[in-house]
Amino acid sequence: MRRLQWAPALVVAALLIGACQPATPGGNIGQKPAKLTIAAVQGNEDAALKAVAPLYEQKTGIKIEIVEFPYDQLFEKLVTTFKANSPTYDLVMMDDPWMPKFGTDESLQPLDSTYGIKRDSDIPDVVYDVGTWPPPRGPVPPKAKGKAAHLIGVTIVGNVEMFMYRSDMGPAPKTWDEVKANADKNKKPNFWGYVVRGKATNPIVADFLPILWSFGGDVFDQNWNVTIDNAASLKAVKFLVQDLKAAAPPGSESIDAADRSRLMAIGQAYQSTVWPGEITEIVENSTVSQVKGKVSYIPMPAGPSGKGIGMMGNWLLGVPKASSNGQAAADFITWLTSSDTQKTYVEKGGIPARKSILNDASLNQKNPYFAALAKSLEAVPNWRPRTDQWNAVETILGTNLNAALAGLATPEDATKKAADQIRTLMKGAGY
Amino acid sequence: MANVTARPALSRVGAGRFTRQERLAYTMLAPVFGTILVIVTYPFLLAVVQSVQDAAGREFVGASNYANALANPLLYEALGATGTYAALVMPTEIVLGLGLALLVHRVVRSTGVRALLFVLATIPLVLPPIAVGVIARLIYAPGYGVLNHLLIVTGIVRDEINWLGQPTTAMPAVASVDIWQWTPFVYLVLFSGLLTVPREEIEAAQVDGASGWQQFWHIELNYLRPLVLLIVFFRLADVLRVFDHVFVLTGGGPGNTTQLLSLYLYRIEFKYFDSGQAAALAVMVLVAVSIAYSLVTRALPVERR
Amino acid sequence: MRRSRSWRAVLATPVFAVIAILYAFPLYWLLATSLKSKAELYQTTLTLFPEAPTLQPYVSVLVERGFWVLLRNSVVVCGLSVLVALVLGLLITYPITRLEVSPRVRVGILNWALSLRFLPPIAIVVPYFAVVRTLGLYDQPQALIFIYSLFNLPFTIWMLKGFLSEIPREIEEAAFTDGASRWTAFRLVLLPLAWPGLFAAAVIVFTFTWSEFLFALILTSTPNAQTFPVGVQGLVTQFEVIWNDMAAAGTIALALPLVLMILARRYVVAGLTFGVVREK
Repeated sequence: MRRLQWAPALVVAALLIGACQPATPGGNIGQKPAKLTIAAVQGNEDAALKAVAPLYEQKTGIKIEIVEFPYDQLFEKLVTTFKANSPTYDLVMMDDPWMPKFGTDESLQPLDSTYGIKRDSDIPDVVYDVGTWPPPRGPVPPKAKGKAAHLIGVTIVGNVEMFMYRSDMGPAPKTWDEVKANADKNKKPNFWGYVVRGKATNPIVADFLPILWSFGGDVFDQNWNVTIDNAASLKAVKFLVQDLKAAAPPGSESIDAADRSRLMAIGQAYQSTVWPGEITEIVENSTVSQVKGKVSYIPMPAGPSGKGIGMMGNWLLGVPKASSNGQAAADFITWLTSSDTQKTYVEKGGIPARKSILNDASLNQKNPYFAALAKSLEAVPNWRPRTDQWNAVETILGTNLNAALAGLATPEDATKKAADQIRTLMKGAGY
Repeated sequence: MANVTARPALSRVGAGRFTRQERLAYTMLAPVFGTILVIVTYPFLLAVVQSVQDAAGREFVGASNYANALANPLLYEALGATGTYAALVMPTEIVLGLGLALLVHRVVRSTGVRALLFVLATIPLVLPPIAVGVIARLIYAPGYGVLNHLLIVTGIVRDEINWLGQPTTAMPAVASVDIWQWTPFVYLVLFSGLLTVPREEIEAAQVDGASGWQQFWHIELNYLRPLVLLIVFFRLADVLRVFDHVFVLTGGGPGNTTQLLSLYLYRIEFKYFDSGQAAALAVMVLVAVSIAYSLVTRALPVERR
Repeated sequence: MRRSRSWRAVLATPVFAVIAILYAFPLYWLLATSLKSKAELYQTTLTLFPEAPTLQPYVSVLVERGFWVLLRNSVVVCGLSVLVALVLGLLITYPITRLEVSPRVRVGILNWALSLRFLPPIAIVVPYFAVVRTLGLYDQPQALIFIYSLFNLPFTIWMLKGFLSEIPREIEEAAFTDGASRWTAFRLVLLPLAWPGLFAAAVIVFTFTWSEFLFALILTSTPNAQTFPVGVQGLVTQFEVIWNDMAAAGTIALALPLVLMILARRYVVAGLTFGVVREK
């Protein structure tokens, strides 16, 4: 009778233990693992990755498990996983602005020295540069100064931010002034000359930086001094929150990429900036787009500085320090970026970085943005400042820009506030 | 209800200060209570330790994280936004929930309709928060939001209203989601409470000629008062924790208008990576809440026995 | 009396109509969106009725995205959390309602239980993450089960206390005089009487844990332990909100707790008064 008393407790305990699933064994270093786990971003960017993964399984017998998270959650997940030094993921997909943080924190294994991955001449240098830490160009964070450069990520999505416009309604704008003029000329009911991607923090900053650079402004100078409040930068801010906003639909302050590509796809927008992912998924997707074939893609228009500067937004694949399947992971990366695989990758909607593929005439037919992407890469686009504090900087800048866009602050006040807050932040971080 | 002081002699078997019953009680309580206490306080202690370390978690920096946290003007903006949110949400939910409960209690007699209302009321509670956020976005979003569409089609307004992009409408929009989701809960609790009011008292009052309002004020409210207080506590606690639907709807914007406390904490931890400051904030929030809570319970006892 | 009643009835009708619209319409919108094809969502005019209703979003969610695994995880995690919460709750409420403890202890424990609810999850998620990591429970369902039980303990304690206080001690004492041990009395006498309360508490706790998101996200990393809300969140991507799949996932998510609520409604109604308003 007494023993039966404990039966319920034993049942509960058994259930709890039974619910325990063993953590996926990583396998020994050197041995071939049964599977590789990749943490990837949910959405269009990993669609091609998911599509070609089975081919690798067929070739090597290694199962590829892809765990997806939306953008913000992927970043949080990677941060917490790296902090825990947990071996859960063998490969991680990363947006290039995250590389400085992961590089500074030494969360990734060096792919060149440990696994022998070398630069391929068919891939533009800038693509490798974005995955190298410390960065070979531009200001280097004080903590990373003097360290040997290593390749810690390889690009699998060759994203560069570009410009799109309805070519059936007008010529290509060469400058941002022309953008504005065309936008005003084409204003109709339920049709907007330009769509501002103005949602707070990451979206608005991604939309704004190419404009900022084309106007000759920048967030930092070569020595990490904050320059967002200088004359050129202020002009760019004013252009965004006053000139472009006037031509934009109401609600810019909460419009994100999904909303703006939707507006273009249903024929209610004339121009906007665009990422290749939106092009393949929405604007050129015949099941949802009413404007397929009517939109053209060009590199960023030029600003008062005389140059149009695109922005990199590559997605890279890297190997976390804690992964015990480093060699197998590196092999996967090499396979994925090889010319043959890239051809299949592109067929499945992937965005390549190889020059030979981007300049291929037949592929250009099916992917009208390839030419613009190739040109943008050749022009050497800029990248987001290589600082491990970028997330905080982007949050500060994005919040203040959004406030200016919403009319809560004047452009002067917003830029000054942003500049002051960023200065305090960078000082506290040791810059 | 057992009288605690008059213990029958039989129970006084054990020696010492506690009766046998009490010893059994504490033997049962101690391990469970103790384990839970450990599970709850250990992270709190970890948070305290983290709050006196630097952002990377290595050096001891004394109280500078607390100083930084308190010196940040964004903290006060977040507190203000949370206060506004609470002021919008709580009175509305309680008044509406109470009004509905009374209305249904007085007017609706058929159990079928009552059951239907019960089911309708539980639906907002079982929706995943992200689904609630997405539904809200489908209603308020610029361009394809249903609300603007309906308002324009029925001719109430001419142009689209920028619900999420204007500070004056963003907070009400976000608050409305909370009200939509939790008023049914208040309704359910208070309606159940009304069901426990003894019919004899109500009928006696009606025989005496009391109006509906007097019925409510003098009889039903007495039975509902502890429940209302309980609801106030639970909802206040939830308001301090609200995160999901605000994140999906506005992300804290426009500017920092809807940046509530939980969103602010999230930002410090996951955007600024300042785990020291985040821990300091967490500790301060926990301490403040504990103090407020003990003050309120001392003034308004919830347990009436 | 008749007059005042019809006055209220007149007021009631428009009120109920408004409520019906406010609550039924978003749900209708959810359901309708879940039956639309992707192309339909990209039209210039909104359609109130799906033009060509399709179950493709449901197939996409459960099969193509593999969310049925997450659904299974949710059921397991929430079910076990309920069990643990009930056991712990009983272990705490039994002594304070059936045994003679001082009122101060009773009130103290009840107040402490209430205060647990004030913990803002975002404030303690990172320390919990550290604890889970140290215990080796990262990406294991147990971590979620323990935390969910903990967070729902206040509710459980208050509800159980209400139900257990209802049952007169004389019944148990009768069993004692018949020679039954405390455990037997509990099992054969108390438990059957307290069953409605336990069921109500179980359903409510299940409902609250079903939609929990933050801890599920932070403490898990693969479909090994991820729950359904984490998957649903993933349908809001950077470049696109997959409306129809999201609506389908939302509808699936609300189906199970809703059914439970309907089955248990009588007990839930009784349990929601938390035993505070009692006069016998």
